Amino acid sequence: MSEILSELATAVIEGNSDDAIDLTEDALDDGLEPQNILDNGLMPGMDHVGVEFRAGNMFVPEVLRSARAMQSAMDVLKPLLVEGGVEMAGKILLGTVKGDMHDIGKNLVGMMCEGAGFEVKDMGKNIAPEDFVTAVKEFNPDIVGMSALLTTTMRSMGHTIKALQEAGLRDQVKVMIGGAPVTQSFADKIGADGYASNAASAVDLAKQFAGV
Amino acid sequence: MVRELEFPNPSPMYGERTNMSEPPEKLPVVIIACQIMQEMLKKLLPDGLARDVTYMDYGLHRYPNKMTLSVQEQIDAVAEPSLIVLGYGLCGNGLNGIKAGPHTLLIPRTDDCIAILLGSREAYMREFEAEPGTYYLSKGWLESGSNPLAEYHEYVEKYGEKDATWIMDTQYQHYERLVLVAHDEADLEKYRPQAKEVAAYCQRWNMRYEEILGSDAYARRLVEVAAALDTADSNFVVVPPGGEIRQEQFI
Repeated sequence: MSEILSELATAVIEGNSDDAIDLTEDALDDGLEPQNILDNGLMPGMDHVGVEFRAGNMFVPEVLRSARAMQSAMDVLKPLLVEGGVEMAGKILLGTVKGDMHDIGKNLVGMMCEGAGFEVKDMGKNIAPEDFVTAVKEFNPDIVGMSALLTTTMRSMGHTIKALQEAGLRDQVKVMIGGAPVTQSFADKIGADGYASNAASAVDLAKQFAGV
Repeated sequence: MVRELEFPNPSPMYGERTNMSEPPEKLPVVIIACQIMQEMLKKLLPDGLARDVTYMDYGLHRYPNKMTLSVQEQIDAVAEPSLIVLGYGLCGNGLNGIKAGPHTLLIPRTDDCIAILLGSREAYMREFEAEPGTYYLSKGWLESGSNPLAEYHEYVEKYGEKDATWIMDTQYQHYERLVLVAHDEADLEKYRPQAKEVAAYCQRWNMRYEEILGSDAYARRLVEVAAALDTADSNFVVVPPGGEIRQEQFI
């Protein structure tokens, strides 16, 4: 990896938005491809953040700053990526489940999945099962991602999967879930297709589902 | 099944013993609890029930991984097989994965301490469904600096005013209500001034301030169950020796 890309990863990890923008522009000036900057500068930085957060070595404010730094750099890259006609990896519908107002992790997943080439529709927070069903009909996603940050609201993920089943939509989407209290065994229990413990693994999982 | 333990009744059997084994005895009771329960338990614990009581730092719930290690360490330090009462909820999975070892564990079956302060799981679920966008202030969280105003000050120091405000807005803008909850009037009064300071700050997100008077009913039941484990109902999780606390037991 070139030095400038590893500096860019560091800027993301340290949550330094100004540096992230400057380094992205420098990298472009050096003739690096936008996709290369994204894949080998921004994404590894954010991967690191996700893993450290899950391990309890980084905390919410730091993750927020990192996400903002990544977003600032993405704002520079995105028009160029679109211009370059990058092929979409698939469509993802995202939402935090009913009763839950936490959206930081879910937003992060959305941003990372966009970075990985997915078209993302983010429904926001406190989304009832029936609203997921309606959105699946309208948006026709390949993947539905649900987030819950409370053990109290995790149950709603199961309810949403059931609602998708009852609407006859379950087989046309892959369901992935995540959030601090969520575990693989919970995902198995409610019949989700996958669980991701951090935003970077969510991207890997989505890619795996999409076969890219 | 975690709750189908048979605990020998110690007294009436003596005359019928036909072998040489010791009379079955009740396990000694050891309490490891969050400081938030200290006052309640001090009042509720009958003399002689607990052999040992340890109160742990309020702030452990902010770092669930460390909480697991700290509580496990306390459990492992209990030498004699005991009934260990954990004065905690699942606390962001802070108790998930804790191993009982030779002990039996008794835990209130609740997500966090709000249900304990409100007096029951039902009361918590009721509040929760009525208004999900609620930030609860409890004595423990006020004492440990786990509240939006304290957080703001912490962030100002670390990241400067502008970033601190941005971080706070990002985290809290969706909340609609700030609730001071306490198990008795005295605590409500004691923490009201501090809670109102927090409430004044939270006005920036138009959060309204309310107080809820809970009760010590849940803590009282916990103490009763500790004295008679066979009375544990679905409001409690009991983990037998060799077992492990798992999130599923709380869901």
